[in-house]
Amino acid sequence: MLLPGALETLLGLQDAMDRTFNTGFFDSATTSRGVYPPVNIFENNGDLVLVAELPGVRKEDLNIEVKGDTIRLAGERTIKHGENVSYHRVERNSSKFDRTLKLPYNVQSDKVKAEYKDGLLVVALSRAEADKPKQITIQ
Amino acid sequence: MSKETKEVTKAKNRKPEKTEYAGERTIPGKCYIPKTDIAETENSLVVTMDVPGVKKDNVNITLENNILEVDAKIDNSPYESLNPVYTEYNVGHYTRRFTVSNTIDTAKIDANLTDGVLTLALPKAEESRPKKIEIS
Repeated sequence: MLLPGALETLLGLQDAMDRTFNTGFFDSATTSRGVYPPVNIFENNGDLVLVAELPGVRKEDLNIEVKGDTIRLAGERTIKHGENVSYHRVERNSSKFDRTLKLPYNVQSDKVKAEYKDGLLVVALSRAEADKPKQITIQ
Repeated sequence: MSKETKEVTKAKNRKPEKTEYAGERTIPGKCYIPKTDIAETENSLVVTMDVPGVKKDNVNITLENNILEVDAKIDNSPYESLNPVYTEYNVGHYTRRFTVSNTIDTAKIDANLTDGVLTLALPKAEESRPKKIEIS
């Protein structure tokens, strides 16, 4: 072939453009702007559990912040291959990411538990005491 | 609210994060094609795959008739007690096949799984390594 990897480069460019348009930046919604990392949110006994797939991100490169009802996931994923290599296929991306999500309630920040294992980030977010609904007894 | 009537919000305007494996499978559950880098050095072929959520014991790698097959299974059990409320990606097993052109020294294949990234080092057999020819 005249230009090896030309098609891959073009497809990669298209993928990058799709990613930009998929960030939600051009939408009216204000939440879930960051496209990476994708997250799944689960409910467990009234508390929320956030799961994100972050393969190959070092623990120390991950920065998780919780404030009120927002959670921020920031970090960097670096991919290194040695020198003098020729690539047959490059599908994984090195990327810096910073994503803030709005949660349906205020989070008890001192009770947040984050765990990173096998490339999965699991953050348990329990509801703040002050934000919990109160049972009213009729007198 | 019962589990059946609960609504799950799926992220709109997102491309599916993963590509589903098209072949037929004998095990239940979804199966995806892991994102992969393949780099070649003088002495080896290095295959790197993203398989988040996979444990070491659940990876099966075979190389037969120049076809390298990687099968990685995830553990679904932690998800069983959780109810999804908002989803952006699907969870499933990973599988992928490659045809390897260089003659690989099958006895010396090295596999390593760290933080959801599977790295396979496939050393080239002695006879298929590039030889430098000196002019006499």
